[in-house]
Amino acid sequence: MSDPGAAEPRPSPGQAGASQAGASHGDHDHGDHDYGDHDYGDHGAHRPLPATDVELRARALEALLVAKGLVTTDAIERVISYYEHDVGPRNGAKVVARAWLDPAYRQRLLADGTAAIAELGYGGAEGDNMVVVANTPTVHNAVVCTLCSCYPWPVLGLPPAWYKSLPYRARMVAEPRAVLQEFGLELPAEVEVRVWDSSAEVRYLVLPMRPPGTEGWDQERLAGIVTRDCMIGTAVPSVDAAP
Amino acid sequence: MDGAHDVGGMQGFGAVVVPGGDVAYQEPWEARVFALHMLVSIQDLGGGPGGRPTREEMPAADYLAASYYQRWLWSAERRLERKGLIQPGEVERMMERLWDGEPDLRRDDPALAASAVAEVRRAAPMAPASGARFAVGDRVRVRRMRPARHTRCPRYVRGASGRVERVQGLDGLPELAAYGEPATPEPVYAVAFDSRELWGDDGRPPWTVVVDLWEHYLEEAPSA
Repeated sequence: MSDPGAAEPRPSPGQAGASQAGASHGDHDHGDHDYGDHDYGDHGAHRPLPATDVELRARALEALLVAKGLVTTDAIERVISYYEHDVGPRNGAKVVARAWLDPAYRQRLLADGTAAIAELGYGGAEGDNMVVVANTPTVHNAVVCTLCSCYPWPVLGLPPAWYKSLPYRARMVAEPRAVLQEFGLELPAEVEVRVWDSSAEVRYLVLPMRPPGTEGWDQERLAGIVTRDCMIGTAVPSVDAAP
Repeated sequence: MDGAHDVGGMQGFGAVVVPGGDVAYQEPWEARVFALHMLVSIQDLGGGPGGRPTREEMPAADYLAASYYQRWLWSAERRLERKGLIQPGEVERMMERLWDGEPDLRRDDPALAASAVAEVRRAAPMAPASGARFAVGDRVRVRRMRPARHTRCPRYVRGASGRVERVQGLDGLPELAAYGEPATPEPVYAVAFDSRELWGDDGRPPWTVVVDLWEHYLEEAPSA
């Protein structure tokens, strides 16, 4: 319900040519390229390029820095791999499941999120100051960053595109119920919605309520129903999500 | 600065849930730009303010038109230029060489790669709050301002009154710290605002917006 993902890339505003962005610019048989028509001098050098050129531009910057000996290729790949494989919402789900099973851990988590999360081995950039906010029958929490894209990387990984998008950043503070409805989340009118705008160095994680029907489940099984969106606050856990 | 990045409350951007919006990277090159930008910071290759304040300097129309990682690419280039490590025009010349078929150069250094990952695992927590002017439960009002520099005070809360929800810790004022200027760490507060204070009462069920604000941004709320 909360997964808006379909396969095709979404052209951003002003990116009319986005569908071309994946084309290989190194393909010399690609006869209709317009690379030579662009003015890359003066103003051009300081303005974002059309999407058809941005991939080449990214490649060129990397090539330039590698050629200058400033960055190394395997460092780029290790950083990408770290954020793809070593951190992600599975980390946050373990934190949530532990809090559901262990009242003392839950207490520590709400009192000092950074320290309690570190107990499970998670921490680092964009998780330096963690505050965990708990949903209750009367309060539903959700997280946004209106100015940028702040997000608790060590427990959730890198944010999905929609979290970083202008519509989410613009609307979540001004019409949160309408946004939650887009995700398929309808909350009773009497529930207070609390939207946390991560405008400083604090990063927020939502502790969702454990749903009914999970009595007797172990930590791993519980973690399996805690999706990323449950910890952003655009979804709530459901036994239907169980693997 | 009051740039195009400060979008809280704006209308006209359309739907949040759209096809293809549920992934971290929408194009493969975006992952490499992300990592490259991280390395610029980790290896101290950037000059001037960091990536985020730099992106806020993008011309407003360009900021709105660019994709997320196009903005990161832009800020990486500007920071490298400010440090004097690349010159304007060099990226364009490399684009031409790659276009003409020059193969991508590869250079590895496992020790450097390991130290980069170690660096992103390192945390830099705020100091615990002390000497805070306001306490949890106090009513505060956000100052009116029009900052020329990087700020973390969103426009939509300026002039609004709220209640201190938490005292988060001590941190340097972004208006100074983002530029490497001395900034005595000051309390940062989570301030809770009633939606009707921010957007008026239009009959919708009210909600709460909590915003983290430095002490400099706040004053005592006028008595009701």
